[in-house]
Amino acid sequence: MSGERSTARQALSNAGRQLPAGRSLGLAVGALFWCWLVVRWVAIWLGSKEPFFPATFFEGLATGFRNDGLVMQQTGGALAPVLDFVAGVWFLFSDLAGFVAFGVEYLPELAEGAWLTVVLTVTGILFGLVIAVPLSVARVYGGPVTRGLSLGYIELLRGTPLLAQLFVLYFGLNLSQYFRGFTFGVLPSAAVWVAIVGFTVNSAAYQAEYIRAALESVESGQLTAARAIGLSRTEGIRHVVLPQGLRYAIPGWTNELIYLIKYSSLAAFITVVELFESGRIIASDTFAYLNIYGMLALFYLALVLSATLFMGWVENRVAIPGLGVRDGR
Amino acid sequence: MSERTDGRGDVSEPSSTAEDGRSAGDPLLRVENLQKSYGDETVLRGIDFDLDRRDVEVIIGPSGSGKSTMLRCVNRLTEFQGGTISLDGESVMAMNENELRRRVGMVFQDINLFAHLTALENVTLGLRKVLDMSKGDAEDKAMSQLERVGLAPQAASYPAELSGGQKQRVGIARALAMDPELLLFDEPTSALDPELVGEVLEVMRDLADGGMTMLVVTHEMGFARRAASSLMFLDEGKIVERGPPEQLFDSPERDRTREFLARLTTISEEA
Ligand SMILES: Nc1ncnc2c1ncn2[C@@H]1O[C@H](COP(=O)(O)OP(=O)(O)OP(=O)(O)O)[C@@H](O)[C@H]1O
Ligand SMILES: [Mg+2]
Repeated sequence: MSGERSTARQALSNAGRQLPAGRSLGLAVGALFWCWLVVRWVAIWLGSKEPFFPATFFEGLATGFRNDGLVMQQTGGALAPVLDFVAGVWFLFSDLAGFVAFGVEYLPELAEGAWLTVVLTVTGILFGLVIAVPLSVARVYGGPVTRGLSLGYIELLRGTPLLAQLFVLYFGLNLSQYFRGFTFGVLPSAAVWVAIVGFTVNSAAYQAEYIRAALESVESGQLTAARAIGLSRTEGIRHVVLPQGLRYAIPGWTNELIYLIKYSSLAAFITVVELFESGRIIASDTFAYLNIYGMLALFYLALVLSATLFMGWVENRVAIPGLGVRDGR
Repeated sequence: MSERTDGRGDVSEPSSTAEDGRSAGDPLLRVENLQKSYGDETVLRGIDFDLDRRDVEVIIGPSGSGKSTMLRCVNRLTEFQGGTISLDGESVMAMNENELRRRVGMVFQDINLFAHLTALENVTLGLRKVLDMSKGDAEDKAMSQLERVGLAPQAASYPAELSGGQKQRVGIARALAMDPELLLFDEPTSALDPELVGEVLEVMRDLADGGMTMLVVTHEMGFARRAASSLMFLDEGKIVERGPPEQLFDSPERDRTREFLARLTTISEEA
Protein backbone atom coordinates (compact mmCIF):
# COMPACT_ATOMS: atom_id res chain seq x y z
CA MET A 1 0.00 0.00 0.00
CA SER A 2 2.76 2.38 0.93
CA GLY A 3 4.65 1.33 -2.18
CA GLU A 4 1.69 2.32 -4.29
CA ARG A 5 1.47 5.60 -2.50
CA SER A 6 5.11 6.35 -2.91
CA THR A 7 5.10 5.62 -6.62
CA ALA A 8 2.13 7.92 -6.91
CA ARG A 9 4.03 10.56 -5.04
CA GLN A 10 7.10 9.93 -7.16
CA ALA A 11 4.97 10.47 -10.26
CA LEU A 12 3.57 13.63 -8.73
CA SER A 13 6.96 15.01 -7.89
CA ASN A 14 8.26 14.10 -11.36
CA ALA A 15 5.34 15.93 -12.85
CA GLY A 16 6.21 18.81 -10.55
CA ARG A 17 9.74 18.87 -11.90
CA GLN A 18 8.53 18.86 -15.46
CA LEU A 19 5.98 21.56 -14.81
CA PRO A 20 7.60 23.85 -12.27
CA ALA A 21 5.04 26.52 -13.10
CA GLY A 22 2.18 24.15 -12.28
CA ARG A 23 3.82 23.23 -9.03
CA SER A 24 4.34 26.79 -7.90
CA LEU A 25 0.81 27.63 -8.96
CA GLY A 26 -0.44 24.79 -6.77
CA LEU A 27 1.67 25.99 -3.86
CA ALA A 28 0.45 29.55 -4.36
CA VAL A 29 -3.19 28.41 -4.34
CA GLY A 30 -2.48 26.37 -1.22
CA ALA A 31 -0.79 29.29 0.51
CA LEU A 32 -3.67 31.57 -0.41
CA PHE A 33 -6.18 29.04 0.95
CA TRP A 34 -4.38 28.74 4.26
CA CYS A 35 -3.86 32.48 4.60
CA TRP A 36 -7.54 33.04 4.03
CA LEU A 37 -8.46 30.23 6.43
CA VAL A 38 -6.26 31.54 9.23
CA VAL A 39 -7.44 35.12 8.80
CA ARG A 40 -10.99 33.83 8.73
CA TRP A 41 -10.48 31.90 11.98
CA VAL A 42 -9.04 34.95 13.67
CA ALA A 43 -11.97 37.01 12.46
CA ILE A 44 -14.41 34.42 13.80
CA TRP A 45 -12.77 34.45 17.23
CA LEU A 46 -12.99 38.21 17.17
CA GLY A 47 -16.70 37.79 16.58
CA SER A 48 -17.13 38.53 12.88
CA LYS A 49 -18.83 36.08 10.59
CA GLU A 50 -19.36 38.59 7.81
CA PRO A 51 -17.86 37.56 4.46
CA PHE A 52 -14.71 39.51 3.59
CA PHE A 53 -16.15 40.19 0.17
CA PRO A 54 -19.82 41.10 -0.36
CA ALA A 55 -21.73 38.21 -1.86
CA THR A 56 -24.04 40.71 -3.51
CA PHE A 57 -21.38 41.49 -6.12
CA PHE A 58 -21.39 37.89 -7.38
CA GLU A 59 -25.14 37.63 -7.00
CA GLY A 60 -25.40 40.68 -9.27
CA LEU A 61 -23.07 39.05 -11.77
CA ALA A 62 -25.11 35.88 -11.71
CA THR A 63 -28.38 37.71 -12.30
CA GLY A 64 -26.81 39.86 -15.01
CA PHE A 65 -25.46 36.92 -16.97
CA ARG A 66 -28.72 35.05 -16.67
CA ASN A 67 -30.83 37.98 -17.81
CA ASP A 68 -28.53 38.68 -20.77
CA GLY A 69 -28.64 35.03 -21.71
CA LEU A 70 -32.44 35.02 -21.60
CA VAL A 71 -32.55 38.09 -23.83
CA MET A 72 -30.15 36.49 -26.33
CA GLN A 73 -32.23 33.31 -26.42
CA GLN A 74 -35.33 35.25 -27.26
CA THR A 75 -33.68 37.20 -30.06
CA GLY A 76 -34.54 35.62 -33.39
CA GLY A 77 -33.19 36.26 -36.87
CA ALA A 78 -30.16 35.06 -38.79
CA LEU A 79 -27.88 35.21 -35.79
CA ALA A 80 -30.14 33.07 -33.59
CA PRO A 81 -27.94 29.91 -33.61
CA VAL A 82 -24.86 31.92 -32.60
CA LEU A 83 -26.78 33.79 -29.94
CA ASP A 84 -28.16 30.53 -28.56
CA PHE A 85 -24.61 29.28 -28.23
CA VAL A 86 -23.43 32.45 -26.49
CA ALA A 87 -26.47 32.34 -24.24
CA GLY A 88 -25.44 28.83 -23.17
CA VAL A 89 -22.01 30.14 -22.20
CA TRP A 90 -23.62 33.03 -20.34
CA PHE A 91 -25.82 30.62 -18.36
CA LEU A 92 -22.67 28.73 -17.39
CA PHE A 93 -21.05 31.99 -16.23
CA SER A 94 -24.19 32.82 -14.35
CA ASP A 95 -24.16 29.48 -12.54
CA LEU A 96 -20.47 29.84 -11.73
CA ALA A 97 -21.02 33.33 -10.37
CA GLY A 98 -23.95 31.95 -8.42
CA PHE A 99 -21.70 29.23 -6.98
CA VAL A 100 -19.11 31.80 -6.00
CA ALA A 101 -21.76 34.07 -4.48
CA PHE A 102 -23.09 31.12 -2.52
CA GLY A 103 -19.58 30.22 -1.49
CA VAL A 104 -18.72 33.74 -0.35
CA GLU A 105 -21.83 33.83 1.74
CA TYR A 106 -21.36 30.50 3.48
CA LEU A 107 -17.56 30.20 3.59
CA PRO A 108 -17.34 31.75 7.06
CA GLU A 109 -19.52 28.99 8.48
CA LEU A 110 -17.56 26.31 6.64
CA ALA A 111 -14.32 27.81 7.90
CA GLU A 112 -15.64 27.55 11.42
CA GLY A 113 -16.42 23.90 10.82
CA ALA A 114 -13.03 23.37 9.20
CA TRP A 115 -11.40 24.68 12.37
CA LEU A 116 -12.83 21.80 14.36
CA THR A 117 -11.94 19.33 11.64
CA VAL A 118 -8.34 20.54 11.77
CA VAL A 119 -8.28 20.51 15.56
CA LEU A 120 -9.68 16.97 15.73
CA THR A 121 -7.29 15.71 13.08
CA VAL A 122 -4.13 17.32 14.39
CA THR A 123 -4.73 16.50 18.05
CA GLY A 124 -5.90 13.00 17.14
CA ILE A 125 -2.77 12.26 15.16
CA LEU A 126 -0.31 13.85 17.62
CA PHE A 127 -1.76 12.52 20.89
CA GLY A 128 -2.36 9.25 19.06
CA LEU A 129 1.31 9.09 18.16
CA VAL A 130 2.31 9.61 21.77
CA ILE A 131 0.29 6.51 22.70
CA ALA A 132 1.13 4.56 19.55
CA VAL A 133 4.90 4.57 20.07
CA PRO A 134 4.88 2.74 23.40
CA LEU A 135 2.08 0.48 22.12
CA SER A 136 4.08 -0.57 19.09
CA VAL A 137 7.30 -0.97 21.06
CA ALA A 138 5.44 -3.14 23.56
CA ARG A 139 4.00 -5.14 20.69
CA VAL A 140 7.38 -5.80 19.06
CA TYR A 141 9.73 -5.94 22.02
CA GLY A 142 7.52 -6.55 25.02
CA GLY A 143 7.18 -9.66 27.10
CA PRO A 144 4.10 -11.86 26.78
CA VAL A 145 2.02 -9.70 29.10
CA THR A 146 2.78 -6.27 27.63
CA ARG A 147 2.57 -7.73 24.14
CA GLY A 148 -0.83 -9.20 24.94
CA LEU A 149 -2.12 -5.97 26.45
CA SER A 150 -0.93 -3.96 23.51
CA LEU A 151 -2.37 -6.41 21.02
CA GLY A 152 -5.66 -6.44 22.91
CA TYR A 153 -5.90 -2.66 22.82
CA ILE A 154 -5.03 -2.48 19.14
CA GLU A 155 -7.44 -5.21 18.06
CA LEU A 156 -10.26 -3.87 20.21
CA LEU A 157 -9.96 -0.37 18.78
CA ARG A 158 -9.42 -1.49 15.21
CA GLY A 159 -12.05 -4.17 15.40
CA THR A 160 -14.97 -1.98 16.45
CA PRO A 161 -16.52 0.92 14.54
CA LEU A 162 -15.14 4.35 15.34
CA LEU A 163 -18.70 5.62 15.61
CA ALA A 164 -19.47 3.04 18.26
CA GLN A 165 -16.38 4.14 20.18
CA LEU A 166 -17.51 7.76 20.05
CA PHE A 167 -20.97 6.74 21.27
CA VAL A 168 -19.52 4.78 24.16
CA LEU A 169 -17.38 7.73 25.19
CA TYR A 170 -20.09 10.32 24.74
CA PHE A 171 -23.33 8.60 25.67
CA GLY A 172 -22.06 5.55 27.54
CA LEU A 173 -19.35 7.02 29.73
CA ASN A 174 -20.74 10.53 29.48
CA LEU A 175 -17.18 11.80 29.24
CA SER A 176 -18.29 15.32 28.43
CA GLN A 177 -19.24 15.92 32.07
CA TYR A 178 -15.53 16.07 32.89
CA PHE A 179 -14.78 18.61 30.19
CA ARG A 180 -17.41 21.25 30.83
CA GLY A 181 -14.82 23.42 32.49
CA PHE A 182 -12.55 23.30 29.48
CA THR A 183 -14.71 24.99 26.91
CA PHE A 184 -13.52 28.35 25.76
CA GLY A 185 -13.47 30.33 22.54
CA VAL A 186 -11.59 27.97 20.25
CA LEU A 187 -13.07 24.77 21.66
CA PRO A 188 -16.75 25.59 21.80
CA SER A 189 -18.14 22.47 23.48
CA ALA A 190 -17.26 19.65 25.81
CA ALA A 191 -18.23 17.29 23.01
CA VAL A 192 -15.14 18.43 21.09
CA TRP A 193 -13.00 17.14 23.93
CA VAL A 194 -14.79 13.83 23.87
CA ALA A 195 -14.19 13.64 20.14
CA ILE A 196 -10.49 14.43 20.67
CA VAL A 197 -10.27 11.59 23.19
CA GLY A 198 -12.10 9.28 20.78
CA PHE A 199 -9.93 10.07 17.78
CA THR A 200 -6.78 9.87 19.90
CA VAL A 201 -7.44 6.42 21.30
CA ASN A 202 -8.68 5.14 17.95
CA SER A 203 -5.89 6.64 15.88
CA ALA A 204 -3.32 5.36 18.37
CA ALA A 205 -4.34 1.80 17.51
CA TYR A 206 -3.97 2.32 13.77
CA GLN A 207 -0.74 4.25 14.14
CA ALA A 208 0.64 1.55 16.41
CA GLU A 209 0.09 -0.96 13.62
CA TYR A 210 1.86 1.23 11.07
CA ILE A 211 4.75 1.80 13.46
CA ARG A 212 4.92 -1.86 14.43
CA ALA A 213 5.42 -2.82 10.79
CA ALA A 214 8.04 -0.08 10.47
CA LEU A 215 9.90 -1.21 13.59
CA GLU A 216 9.94 -4.76 12.34
CA SER A 217 11.57 -3.63 9.14
CA VAL A 218 14.61 -2.33 11.04
CA GLU A 219 17.09 -5.20 10.90
CA SER A 220 17.30 -6.83 14.31
CA GLY A 221 21.09 -7.01 13.97
CA GLN A 222 21.28 -3.30 14.64
CA LEU A 223 19.71 -3.71 18.06
CA THR A 224 22.14 -6.55 18.75
CA ALA A 225 24.99 -4.28 17.71
CA ALA A 226 23.68 -1.55 20.01
CA ARG A 227 23.59 -3.97 22.91
CA ALA A 228 27.06 -5.21 21.99
CA ILE A 229 28.56 -1.79 22.70
CA GLY A 230 26.92 -1.67 26.12
CA LEU A 231 23.59 0.01 25.47
CA SER A 232 20.66 -1.56 27.26
CA ARG A 233 17.82 -2.95 25.16
CA THR A 234 15.67 0.05 25.95
CA GLU A 235 18.44 2.45 24.99
CA GLY A 236 19.02 0.52 21.81
CA ILE A 237 15.34 0.74 20.91
CA ARG A 238 15.32 4.43 21.74
CA HIS A 239 18.51 5.45 19.93
CA VAL A 240 18.72 2.95 17.08
CA VAL A 241 15.40 1.29 16.26
CA LEU A 242 12.91 4.12 16.80
CA PRO A 243 14.74 6.80 14.80
CA GLN A 244 14.67 4.47 11.81
CA GLY A 245 11.27 2.92 12.43
CA LEU A 246 9.56 6.29 12.76
CA ARG A 247 11.05 7.36 9.44
CA TYR A 248 9.79 4.20 7.79
CA ALA A 249 6.38 4.87 9.31
CA ILE A 250 5.92 8.26 7.64
CA PRO A 251 4.02 6.98 4.56
CA GLY A 252 1.64 5.01 6.77
CA TRP A 253 1.34 8.00 9.00
CA THR A 254 0.37 10.16 6.03
CA ASN A 255 -2.38 7.67 5.22
CA GLU A 256 -3.63 7.82 8.77
CA LEU A 257 -3.66 11.61 8.70
CA ILE A 258 -5.73 11.60 5.52
CA TYR A 259 -8.18 9.06 6.92
CA LEU A 260 -8.50 11.09 10.06
CA ILE A 261 -9.33 14.27 8.13
CA LYS A 262 -12.30 12.47 6.63
CA TYR A 263 -13.27 10.29 9.60
CA SER A 264 -13.38 13.35 11.83
CA SER A 265 -16.80 14.01 10.26
CA LEU A 266 -18.14 11.23 12.49
CA ALA A 267 -17.82 13.69 15.36
CA ALA A 268 -21.05 15.21 14.04
CA PHE A 269 -22.86 12.26 15.62
CA ILE A 270 -21.85 13.48 19.04
CA THR A 271 -22.93 17.05 18.27
CA VAL A 272 -19.62 18.47 17.11
CA VAL A 273 -20.24 20.84 14.21
CA GLU A 274 -17.13 20.13 12.19
CA LEU A 275 -16.68 20.79 8.49
CA PHE A 276 -19.10 18.23 7.08
CA GLU A 277 -21.77 18.93 9.64
CA SER A 278 -21.56 22.68 9.12
CA GLY A 279 -22.09 22.04 5.40
CA ARG A 280 -24.98 19.67 6.04
CA ILE A 281 -26.70 22.27 8.19
CA ILE A 282 -26.37 24.89 5.45
CA ALA A 283 -27.67 22.40 2.90
CA SER A 284 -30.76 21.60 4.93
CA ASP A 285 -31.44 25.33 5.36
CA THR A 286 -30.93 26.30 1.74
CA PHE A 287 -31.57 23.08 -0.19
CA ALA A 288 -28.57 24.06 -2.36
CA TYR A 289 -27.18 20.55 -2.14
CA LEU A 290 -24.99 20.63 -5.21
CA ASN A 291 -23.37 23.92 -4.28
CA ILE A 292 -22.73 23.03 -0.69
CA TYR A 293 -21.41 19.54 -1.31
CA GLY A 294 -19.25 20.93 -4.11
CA MET A 295 -17.77 23.41 -1.65
CA LEU A 296 -17.25 20.67 0.92
CA ALA A 297 -15.45 18.51 -1.61
CA LEU A 298 -13.12 21.39 -2.46
CA PHE A 299 -12.49 22.00 1.23
CA TYR A 300 -11.65 18.39 1.99
CA LEU A 301 -9.50 18.20 -1.12
CA ALA A 302 -7.57 21.26 0.01
CA LEU A 303 -7.05 19.78 3.48
CA VAL A 304 -5.97 16.39 2.15
CA LEU A 305 -3.61 17.84 -0.45
CA SER A 306 -2.10 20.12 2.19
CA ALA A 307 -1.57 17.14 4.47
CA THR A 308 0.08 15.14 1.68
CA LEU A 309 2.35 18.01 0.72
CA PHE A 310 3.26 18.68 4.31
CA MET A 311 4.07 15.05 5.06
CA GLY A 312 6.10 14.82 1.86
CA TRP A 313 8.05 17.83 3.05
CA VAL A 314 8.59 16.21 6.46
CA GLU A 315 9.71 13.00 4.82
CA ASN A 316 12.25 14.90 2.74
CA ARG A 317 13.35 16.90 5.72
CA VAL A 318 14.28 13.84 7.78
CA ALA A 319 15.44 11.68 4.86
CA ILE A 320 18.74 9.88 5.27
CA PRO A 321 20.68 8.45 2.32
CA GLY A 322 19.86 4.80 1.89
CA LEU A 323 17.03 4.83 4.41
CA GLY A 324 13.39 4.65 3.37
CA VAL A 325 11.35 4.64 0.20
CA ARG A 326 13.04 7.53 -1.53
CA ASP A 327 16.12 5.53 -2.33
CA GLY A 328 14.23 2.56 -3.69
CA ARG A 329 14.09 0.62 -0.49
CA MET B 1 47.37 -26.55 25.17
CA SER B 2 46.71 -23.01 26.13
CA GLU B 3 49.97 -22.95 28.07
CA ARG B 4 51.86 -21.03 25.50
CA THR B 5 51.77 -18.31 28.03
CA ASP B 6 55.41 -17.28 28.16
CA GLY B 7 54.45 -14.91 30.93
CA ARG B 8 52.74 -12.44 28.67
CA GLY B 9 49.64 -12.50 30.80
CA ASP B 10 51.63 -10.98 33.61
CA VAL B 11 52.95 -8.09 31.64
CA SER B 12 50.79 -5.25 32.75
CA GLU B 13 50.31 -3.00 29.81
CA PRO B 14 49.66 0.67 30.23
CA SER B 15 46.25 0.32 28.57
CA SER B 16 43.04 -0.60 30.30
CA THR B 17 43.54 -4.26 31.08
CA ALA B 18 45.49 -4.93 34.21
CA GLU B 19 45.03 -1.93 36.40
CA ASP B 20 43.57 -3.39 39.50
CA GLY B 21 46.07 -6.16 40.14
CA ARG B 22 43.29 -8.69 40.46
CA SER B 23 44.27 -9.97 37.06
CA ALA B 24 47.79 -11.07 37.84
CA GLY B 25 48.03 -14.69 36.80
CA ASP B 26 44.51 -14.95 35.47
CA PRO B 27 44.05 -15.28 31.75
CA LEU B 28 41.99 -12.49 30.27
CA LEU B 29 39.31 -14.95 29.21
CA ARG B 30 38.71 -18.34 30.74
CA VAL B 31 36.01 -20.61 29.38
CA GLU B 32 35.27 -23.73 31.41
CA ASN B 33 32.93 -26.53 30.45
CA LEU B 34 30.69 -24.17 28.54
CA GLN B 35 27.33 -25.74 27.65
CA LYS B 36 24.55 -24.21 25.69
CA SER B 37 21.39 -25.48 24.12
CA TYR B 38 18.49 -24.00 22.24
CA GLY B 39 15.52 -25.94 23.53
CA ASP B 40 16.26 -29.61 22.87
CA GLU B 41 19.15 -28.87 20.57
CA THR B 42 22.51 -28.91 22.33
CA VAL B 43 24.83 -26.53 20.57
CA LEU B 44 27.88 -26.31 22.85
CA ARG B 45 28.95 -29.48 24.68
CA GLY B 46 31.63 -28.48 27.14
CA ILE B 47 34.11 -25.97 25.80
CA ASP B 48 37.30 -25.25 27.72
CA PHE B 49 40.02 -22.81 26.84
CA ASP B 50 42.01 -19.86 28.14
CA LEU B 51 42.92 -16.77 26.23
CA ASP B 52 45.76 -14.63 27.47
CA ARG B 53 46.16 -10.95 26.98
CA ARG B 54 47.46 -9.97 23.56
CA ASP B 55 46.63 -13.41 22.18
CA VAL B 56 44.67 -13.91 18.98
CA GLU B 57 42.58 -17.04 18.81
CA VAL B 58 41.20 -18.02 15.43
CA ILE B 59 38.17 -20.31 15.47
CA ILE B 60 37.23 -22.45 12.50
CA GLY B 61 34.55 -25.06 12.07
CA PRO B 62 31.73 -26.16 9.82
CA SER B 63 28.47 -24.27 9.62
CA GLY B 64 26.31 -24.95 12.66
CA SER B 65 29.21 -26.09 14.80
CA GLY B 66 28.46 -23.38 17.37
CA LYS B 67 31.11 -20.75 16.60
CA SER B 68 28.77 -17.76 16.68
CA THR B 69 26.96 -19.16 19.67
CA MET B 70 30.20 -19.42 21.59
CA LEU B 71 31.15 -15.80 20.88
CA ARG B 72 27.70 -14.65 21.89
CA CYS B 73 27.99 -16.49 25.19
CA VAL B 74 31.18 -14.58 25.97
CA ASN B 75 29.46 -11.18 25.92
CA ARG B 76 26.14 -12.67 27.05
CA LEU B 77 24.20 -11.76 23.97
CA THR B 78 22.85 -15.23 24.58
CA GLU B 79 22.48 -17.05 27.87
CA PHE B 80 24.27 -20.34 28.48
CA GLN B 81 23.15 -23.24 30.63
CA GLY B 82 26.35 -24.66 32.03
CA GLY B 83 29.96 -23.90 32.79
CA THR B 84 31.63 -20.60 33.50
CA ILE B 85 33.13 -17.81 31.51
CA SER B 86 35.42 -15.43 33.34
CA LEU B 87 36.84 -12.18 32.16
CA ASP B 88 39.91 -11.10 34.03
CA GLY B 89 39.17 -13.60 36.78
CA GLU B 90 35.56 -12.53 37.30
CA SER B 91 32.60 -14.58 36.16
CA VAL B 92 30.67 -12.80 33.43
CA MET B 93 27.46 -13.92 35.11
CA ALA B 94 28.38 -11.78 38.10
CA MET B 95 28.82 -8.67 36.00
CA ASN B 96 26.33 -6.14 34.81
CA GLU B 97 25.76 -7.25 31.24
CA ASN B 98 25.98 -3.76 29.77
CA GLU B 99 29.28 -3.21 31.54
CA LEU B 100 30.50 -6.61 30.31
CA ARG B 101 29.62 -5.69 26.75
CA ARG B 102 31.40 -2.40 27.06
CA ARG B 103 34.53 -4.32 27.97
CA VAL B 104 34.11 -6.93 25.25
CA GLY B 105 33.70 -5.49 21.77
CA MET B 106 32.04 -7.37 18.93
CA VAL B 107 32.26 -7.18 15.16
CA PHE B 108 29.55 -8.89 13.12
CA GLN B 109 29.38 -10.76 9.85
CA ASP B 110 26.48 -8.61 8.68
CA ILE B 111 28.19 -5.52 10.12
CA ASN B 112 24.97 -3.99 11.50
CA LEU B 113 25.97 -0.36 11.30
CA PHE B 114 23.28 1.99 12.57
CA ALA B 115 21.75 2.94 9.24
CA HIS B 116 20.48 6.36 10.29
CA LEU B 117 23.82 7.58 11.61
CA THR B 118 26.97 8.74 9.85
CA ALA B 119 30.20 6.81 10.23
CA LEU B 120 31.25 9.24 12.94
CA GLU B 121 27.91 9.06 14.75
CA ASN B 122 28.04 5.26 14.63
CA VAL B 123 31.20 5.49 16.67
CA THR B 124 30.08 8.30 18.99
CA LEU B 125 26.75 6.73 19.98
CA GLY B 126 28.31 4.36 22.49
CA LEU B 127 30.70 7.01 23.76
CA ARG B 128 27.86 9.44 24.37
CA LYS B 129 25.20 7.10 25.71
CA VAL B 130 27.27 4.44 27.46
CA LEU B 131 30.32 6.37 28.60
CA ASP B 132 28.47 9.69 28.95
CA MET B 133 31.18 11.60 27.16
CA SER B 134 30.55 15.15 26.02
CA LYS B 135 29.79 15.64 22.35
CA GLY B 136 33.15 17.24 21.64
CA ASP B 137 35.19 14.60 23.46
CA ALA B 138 33.20 11.79 21.86
CA GLU B 139 33.77 13.22 18.41
CA ASP B 140 37.49 13.64 18.98
CA LYS B 141 37.80 10.10 20.19
CA ALA B 142 35.61 8.71 17.40
CA MET B 143 37.63 10.58 14.84
CA SER B 144 40.85 9.06 16.09
CA GLN B 145 39.27 5.59 15.89
CA LEU B 146 38.18 6.26 12.32
CA GLU B 147 41.72 7.36 11.53
CA ARG B 148 42.97 4.13 12.99
CA VAL B 149 40.93 2.16 10.44
CA GLY B 150 41.75 4.61 7.65
CA LEU B 151 38.29 6.12 7.34
CA ALA B 152 38.64 9.67 8.64
CA PRO B 153 37.70 11.13 5.23
CA GLN B 154 34.40 9.19 5.28
CA ALA B 155 33.38 10.37 8.76
CA ALA B 156 30.34 12.23 7.46
CA SER B 157 29.13 9.44 5.15
CA TYR B 158 26.08 7.34 5.90
CA PRO B 159 26.42 3.54 5.83
CA ALA B 160 24.56 3.36 2.51
CA GLU B 161 27.26 5.54 1.01
CA LEU B 162 30.12 3.25 2.06
CA SER B 163 31.48 0.09 0.48
CA GLY B 164 31.20 -3.17 2.38
CA GLY B 165 34.83 -3.04 3.41
CA GLN B 166 34.51 0.54 4.61
CA LYS B 167 31.38 -0.37 6.55
CA GLN B 168 33.12 -3.21 8.31
CA ARG B 169 36.02 -0.93 9.20
CA VAL B 170 33.52 1.49 10.75
CA GLY B 171 32.13 -1.53 12.60
CA ILE B 172 35.59 -2.19 13.98
CA ALA B 173 36.11 1.47 14.90
CA ARG B 174 32.74 1.44 16.69
CA ALA B 175 33.86 -1.52 18.79
CA LEU B 176 37.35 -0.11 19.39
CA ALA B 177 36.04 3.22 20.61
CA MET B 178 34.74 1.64 23.78
CA ASP B 179 38.32 0.63 24.73
CA PRO B 180 37.44 -3.05 24.92
CA GLU B 181 39.78 -5.47 26.62
CA LEU B 182 38.72 -8.24 24.27
CA LEU B 183 37.39 -8.08 20.74
CA LEU B 184 35.12 -10.74 19.26
CA PHE B 185 34.95 -11.08 15.49
CA ASP B 186 32.22 -13.25 13.97
CA GLU B 187 33.19 -13.93 10.36
CA PRO B 188 33.93 -10.26 9.75
CA THR B 189 34.81 -10.71 6.09
CA SER B 190 32.52 -13.45 4.88
CA ALA B 191 29.77 -11.10 3.74
CA LEU B 192 32.21 -8.97 1.76
CA ASP B 193 33.11 -9.05 -1.92
CA PRO B 194 36.47 -10.78 -2.29
CA GLU B 195 38.29 -7.61 -3.33
CA LEU B 196 37.17 -5.87 -0.11
CA VAL B 197 38.33 -8.58 2.27
CA GLY B 198 41.96 -7.45 2.26
CA GLU B 199 41.40 -3.98 3.70
CA VAL B 200 39.47 -5.40 6.66
CA LEU B 201 42.02 -8.14 7.35
CA GLU B 202 44.74 -5.52 7.24
CA VAL B 203 43.03 -3.53 10.00
CA MET B 204 42.62 -6.73 12.02
CA ARG B 205 46.28 -7.60 11.55
CA ASP B 206 47.28 -4.14 12.76
CA LEU B 207 45.13 -4.65 15.84
CA ALA B 208 46.73 -8.02 16.50
CA ASP B 209 50.19 -6.53 16.08
CA GLY B 210 49.20 -3.73 18.43
CA GLY B 211 48.49 -6.26 21.18
CA MET B 212 44.69 -6.42 21.08
CA THR B 213 43.28 -9.62 22.52
CA MET B 214 41.02 -11.12 19.89
CA LEU B 215 38.70 -14.08 19.42
CA VAL B 216 38.17 -14.38 15.70
CA VAL B 217 35.83 -16.70 13.82
CA THR B 218 37.12 -16.66 10.27
CA HIS B 219 38.01 -18.98 7.46
CA GLU B 220 40.67 -16.65 6.09
CA MET B 221 43.59 -19.00 6.60
CA GLY B 222 46.11 -16.39 5.49
CA PHE B 223 45.06 -14.28 8.45
CA ALA B 224 45.21 -17.29 10.77
CA ARG B 225 48.72 -18.18 9.66
CA ARG B 226 49.95 -14.63 9.92
CA ALA B 227 48.19 -13.28 13.02
CA ALA B 228 46.82 -16.11 15.17
CA SER B 229 48.65 -17.21 18.26
CA SER B 230 46.36 -20.20 18.38
CA LEU B 231 43.87 -21.94 16.14
CA MET B 232 40.81 -23.79 17.35
CA PHE B 233 38.78 -26.26 15.33
CA LEU B 234 35.24 -26.54 16.58
CA ASP B 235 32.81 -29.21 15.45
CA GLU B 236 29.43 -30.19 16.83
CA GLY B 237 29.85 -27.97 19.85
CA LYS B 238 33.22 -29.34 20.89
CA ILE B 239 36.83 -28.34 20.43
CA VAL B 240 38.25 -31.03 18.17
CA GLU B 241 41.74 -29.67 18.18
CA ARG B 242 43.55 -26.56 19.28
CA GLY B 243 47.13 -25.41 18.89
CA PRO B 244 49.52 -23.08 17.13
CA PRO B 245 48.33 -22.50 13.55
CA GLU B 246 51.46 -24.01 11.96
CA GLN B 247 50.94 -27.19 13.93
CA LEU B 248 47.32 -27.59 12.86
CA PHE B 249 48.14 -26.76 9.27
CA ASP B 250 51.19 -28.97 8.97
CA SER B 251 50.65 -31.86 11.34
CA PRO B 252 47.16 -32.00 12.78
CA GLU B 253 46.51 -34.75 15.30
CA ARG B 254 43.01 -35.48 14.09
CA ASP B 255 41.92 -36.61 10.66
CA ARG B 256 38.84 -34.45 10.91
CA THR B 257 40.98 -31.35 11.31
CA ARG B 258 43.06 -32.35 8.30
CA GLU B 259 39.98 -32.95 6.17
CA PHE B 260 38.36 -29.69 7.16
CA LEU B 261 41.51 -27.67 6.56
CA ALA B 262 42.05 -29.42 3.23
CA ARG B 263 38.53 -28.52 2.18
CA LEU B 264 39.01 -24.91 3.31
CA THR B 265 42.17 -24.58 1.31
CA THR B 266 40.63 -26.03 -1.85
CA ILE B 267 37.69 -23.68 -1.55
CA SER B 268 39.85 -20.64 -1.04
CA GLU B 269 42.10 -21.67 -3.90
CA GLU B 270 39.12 -22.12 -6.18
CA ALA B 271 37.77 -18.72 -5.21
N1 LIG C 1 18.62 -18.21 18.06
C1 LIG C 1 18.68 -19.53 17.84
N2 LIG C 1 17.63 -20.33 18.11
C2 LIG C 1 17.68 -21.64 17.89
N3 LIG C 1 18.75 -22.29 17.39
C3 LIG C 1 19.84 -21.57 17.10
C4 LIG C 1 19.86 -20.15 17.28
N4 LIG C 1 21.05 -19.69 16.89
C5 LIG C 1 21.76 -20.77 16.48
N5 LIG C 1 21.03 -21.89 16.59
C6 LIG C 1 21.48 -23.25 16.26
O1 LIG C 1 22.68 -23.48 16.93
C7 LIG C 1 23.58 -24.18 16.12
C8 LIG C 1 24.88 -23.45 16.06
O2 LIG C 1 24.69 -22.22 15.43
P1 LIG C 1 25.84 -21.16 15.25
O3 LIG C 1 25.24 -19.98 14.59
O4 LIG C 1 26.53 -20.96 16.52
O5 LIG C 1 26.79 -21.91 14.24
P2 LIG C 1 28.06 -21.35 13.48
O6 LIG C 1 29.16 -22.28 13.78
O7 LIG C 1 28.26 -19.93 13.78
O8 LIG C 1 27.62 -21.55 11.99
P3 LIG C 1 27.87 -20.60 10.72
O9 LIG C 1 29.20 -20.94 10.21
O10 LIG C 1 26.79 -21.02 9.78
O11 LIG C 1 27.75 -19.20 11.18
C9 LIG C 1 22.92 -24.35 14.77
O12 LIG C 1 22.43 -25.66 14.67
C10 LIG C 1 21.79 -23.36 14.80
O13 LIG C 1 20.69 -23.87 14.09
MG1 LIG D 1 28.10 -18.09 12.72
